[in-house]
Amino acid sequence: MKGRLLILQIAAPVLAIAFGMLISSIIILAIGRNPLEVFGIMVRFSLGRTDSLFSILFKSTPLIFAGLAVAMSFRVNLFNIGVEGQYYIGAFCAAFVGFSLRGLPPIVHLPLALLAAMAGGMLWALLPIALKIRRGAHEVITTIMMNYIASALILYLIADVFRDPAQAGTPRVRTPDVALAARVPSLGPFFGNFGFAGSDVQKLNALLLLGLTLCIILAYALARTRFGYEVRAVAANPTAAEAAGIANRRVEFGMFMLSAAIAGLIGLNDILGFFGYLDIDFPKGLGFLGISVALLAKNNPLGVILAALLFGFLDRGAQGVQFFARVPKETIVIMQAIIILAIVVAYELLTSYIRIQRKREAEGTPAMPAAAAEAAP
Amino acid sequence: MDGEPFIQLHGITKRFPGVTANDHVDLTVRVGEIHAIVGENGAGKSTLMRVLYGLYQPDTGSISVRGRTVVIDGPRAALELGIGMVHQHFMLIPVFTVAENVILGSEPVAGLGRLKLREARARVAKLCAQYGFALDPAAKVGALSVGEQQRVEIIKVLFRGAELLILDEPTAVLVPQEVEELFSNLRRLREQGKTIIFISHKLDEVLDISDRITVLRRGRVVGTVDAAATTKPQLAEMMVGRPVLLELEHPEVTPGAVRLEARALTVGAGGGGRRQAVRHVHLAVRSGEIYGIAGVEGNGQTELVEALVGLRPIVMGQLLVEGQDVTQQSARAIRLMGVAHIPEDRHRRGLALPMTVWENMILGHHYRDDFVNGPLVDRPAVDRFVAEHVREYDIRVADTDAPALALSGGNQQKVIVAREFSFAPRVLVAAQPTRGLDIGATEFVQRQLLAARSNGMAVLLVSAWLEEVLSLADRIGVMYGGELVGEFRRGEVTAAELGLYMTGTKRRDVIPVVPV
Amino acid sequence: METLTSLLSIALIASAIRVTMPILLTALGAVYSERSGVVNIGLEGIMIMGTFFGAVGDYVFAERFPGIVAAFPDAAPLAGVLAAVLGGVAFGLIHALVTVTFRVNQIISGVALNLLAAGLARFLNILLFTQATQSPGVHGFTPIDIPVLKDVAVLGPLVRGISPMIILGVLLVIASQWILLRTRFGLRLRAVGEYPLAADTLGVSVTRMRYAGVLLSGALAGMAGSYLAIEQAHLYFEGMTQGRGFIALAAMIFGNWWPVGALGASALFGYFDALSLRVVKLPVPYQFISVLPHIVTILVLAGFVRRAQMPAADGLPYTKEEE
Repeated sequence: MKGRLLILQIAAPVLAIAFGMLISSIIILAIGRNPLEVFGIMVRFSLGRTDSLFSILFKSTPLIFAGLAVAMSFRVNLFNIGVEGQYYIGAFCAAFVGFSLRGLPPIVHLPLALLAAMAGGMLWALLPIALKIRRGAHEVITTIMMNYIASALILYLIADVFRDPAQAGTPRVRTPDVALAARVPSLGPFFGNFGFAGSDVQKLNALLLLGLTLCIILAYALARTRFGYEVRAVAANPTAAEAAGIANRRVEFGMFMLSAAIAGLIGLNDILGFFGYLDIDFPKGLGFLGISVALLAKNNPLGVILAALLFGFLDRGAQGVQFFARVPKETIVIMQAIIILAIVVAYELLTSYIRIQRKREAEGTPAMPAAAAEAAP
Repeated sequence: MDGEPFIQLHGITKRFPGVTANDHVDLTVRVGEIHAIVGENGAGKSTLMRVLYGLYQPDTGSISVRGRTVVIDGPRAALELGIGMVHQHFMLIPVFTVAENVILGSEPVAGLGRLKLREARARVAKLCAQYGFALDPAAKVGALSVGEQQRVEIIKVLFRGAELLILDEPTAVLVPQEVEELFSNLRRLREQGKTIIFISHKLDEVLDISDRITVLRRGRVVGTVDAAATTKPQLAEMMVGRPVLLELEHPEVTPGAVRLEARALTVGAGGGGRRQAVRHVHLAVRSGEIYGIAGVEGNGQTELVEALVGLRPIVMGQLLVEGQDVTQQSARAIRLMGVAHIPEDRHRRGLALPMTVWENMILGHHYRDDFVNGPLVDRPAVDRFVAEHVREYDIRVADTDAPALALSGGNQQKVIVAREFSFAPRVLVAAQPTRGLDIGATEFVQRQLLAARSNGMAVLLVSAWLEEVLSLADRIGVMYGGELVGEFRRGEVTAAELGLYMTGTKRRDVIPVVPV
Repeated sequence: METLTSLLSIALIASAIRVTMPILLTALGAVYSERSGVVNIGLEGIMIMGTFFGAVGDYVFAERFPGIVAAFPDAAPLAGVLAAVLGGVAFGLIHALVTVTFRVNQIISGVALNLLAAGLARFLNILLFTQATQSPGVHGFTPIDIPVLKDVAVLGPLVRGISPMIILGVLLVIASQWILLRTRFGLRLRAVGEYPLAADTLGVSVTRMRYAGVLLSGALAGMAGSYLAIEQAHLYFEGMTQGRGFIALAAMIFGNWWPVGALGASALFGYFDALSLRVVKLPVPYQFISVLPHIVTILVLAGFVRRAQMPAADGLPYTKEEE
């Protein structure tokens, strides 16, 4: 039984990905191209070149944070769709700490910037979760509204308040440069020792390691600690958890804040790891991709790593097919969405199948103790 | 009573994964009789009725109605054959009116699908008059009493022209007076030529109302007997397959000090409003005593229990555990003072069904030092605890890593009982502890309660099942409309008398017990 | 004082009515969906599809059938509205399939639908117009005057030269209220949203009613999108819905899950939306004025949710008991 379950649990996402590829194939066929050729280009481009491999890792880094952030709220049945806005604010806070403070040593300045990013994310999540807990306002709608407000606020801050005076007269709308002490160290020199070089290698930075570490720590904490136990209980049945003396509101609040704190870090891969400033064209939509990553990972922190890598691969592949096969990269975006729809259906079917199997097993063993014992002398 | 057969089942078998719910069941119900079907929980009564109502298809066997073999492939088909079902859990929509509930699914309509509501109300009123049901067709169902809602259910079936009514455990939710009224309604229906299948496990009622009785045990028909020619012990033995003790032993225990006390307790109804669900309740439960609370469900028992265990804020008054004021304390603090709680709804409050059996067995104890090692859950300690209690309480489970939803109802309740009885509680608050359990499991739980009492625990037992309260409790309080409207010593009061208090017909002042 | 009168001017109200429409139509759709027990957070995405298909239907019809359009100028926008409604229904079908048939969490399905819509609109736009974010300009309906009322001078812009879709919207509100309260369809729809098992035992198909509710929501959100593209902006551009699909959900909640209530609530949001378009001289940065409706949405949800009476089975997948 256990072995079969494991196979099914692996099969579900694989089948969903296959289904996503099938639908994309139909789309590619419809625009008069050969799907096999397109997928071939995609795989060769993404996996056949070292610069692509490093690029995938770079693209996966924010997705790990994004997926993890969303997953942490999903773990307690809260839908933090506000990860998008939270990372805008977090990115700004980090940039602000980065460009406004000078002369701090990196050992102080960088952690300060990271903390500022997390605090910014949490700040932006405070109102929705408070309204959810106090007033019952649905967090999905309030967090989405907060996303729009964050977007407007960032625009205002970058364009009207903290615009880099050095850029006056140019069309560039951006903050001043972040101090070097607040920049995240690149992993380029490390990989340089092994002969890897190029801009994609240089872009890769220590945030990848932070993301991976965070995933492992949280996976362990959720599985093994008392707090993790309480999280599972609140998710499984909040009213029963409450009856067991678990302050479920507090657990929900804590997980939502954890989600928002991680969300605050999403933008830093680009801001502190690459550009060194925040401009109005900084990468957007990562929060929404995080939802996909979390769903694919079934909210498991270790699964988040794999799902983020897959999405990084798809993103890199999309560039390849756009450039070499002249197929719009939106094809791959559609494929991602289809995969998500397919995966949630597959997981749902799997869950109900397991439920039936469990019942069958349980009832196959001698149930009805008293009567059974009497009947078999 | 030798009417022609209305419905005949021949060799009906229905299997579910791992269990045969009905095993070659033969049954004949005659026109114009009240035919009871009795059996324990899990004996296959409900499955059989669902087959009859078209909700399940039998694996083998055939059904004939008025001598003609038929296939019943859904409720609609059943209704067309004149078979209607009155469900145990009411299938009523509270925000709809009586008339709207009655017509749903067979609405009288004009052009464009416009409802003929006036006609509907008139037809409902006419049916009520014909069978002597007191109901206002324009009333919202949510505002009706349980007895009235049941009448709506019956009218629903009659509106669809049913000749055969299946009533699934209809008395489970009624007080004695309402049962009497239901029975007089049923007799009137029989006079007018209707046929009734009455499903129950309450033998006294079955003997009172029915003409013939069919007993099911573990999916099989044990036999069909004339009600006039059988006795309660005989029926009980047929049901269980062995002679059963209908009375529990209730040894003499001298109560000790007051362990749980409510002083003028007032509790809100929740939902943000100012409505009060519990008003000014005084009660005291002593060591070595079972204090029973009787009452129709929805009269504040749920809220009282939740307030006593710290799950619902107390608006006014005081709550004391062993003399200490815990009015403002959290559920966890109250638990740690030794108050155990068997919740009324084990699926909602008692267990986290998707979690494993072992996780459920430490739910509410998981923060005890015994089970934690720094921030980590101490698995070896937990496993030892779980293994010990699975053995002690005879919980039938192949794998404690399986989710709790895989357990049978009886085993689920055993998990809760095992958990709540561990770590030597001083007080036990047990709400509907035997609901939905078969006779074996019910007996088990009741014996545990009595053993706890003998060991000096203070037990507060809330039960909608009057016989249970009467047979277990040393003192009985009756709740009506959120208030304690009477308090009695064991043996001081009969079921019928309690019924008068439960419906608000009578009340007497409850003198607060002075703490010893 | 001047600001105050301008806050209540007829011109502002007329503008408010115009911007109320897309919110109202989507909120109306949400009422049908949630009355049947399905939360449809994908309405934003469906609206996006509506804006796109609305513009495309309009544009393509005008290109292909210039003769018909010369004789009946309203044929092209009509084709746009129909295309948008069909696109909305198709998206609604996905949501229904995933949530009703496969019983997947409704919020998750809706979120995925929104992601799909964003990608699909870009993709299709590239195919049709070789760029991702914008369609060519399209023509709207010929504005009409409301008979009788048009001669009342004070009402001016409220009754003269308005979009026929506004009139349609108001009629749909009245019709929907009647349908939900007084017809067999409405009774059954509400029944499966309140207590699906009860409806099921009476032979009312939960699946069919929920599909109906979700498809209607798709049709109405699609129509709302087409209004934005055809009547308001006269083209499709990326991101033009600006979260109105979500605002509409808030309007539905504020309107207590009834069409007439949704009308009132949508009008409130429409008013702030119109205000955000007009008030440019306030000493507040324009970025904040533009998110006024979003702020109002949060305030409304914070203030009024508790009083609402939502359908009892809203958001819950329905499974027949398998015991």
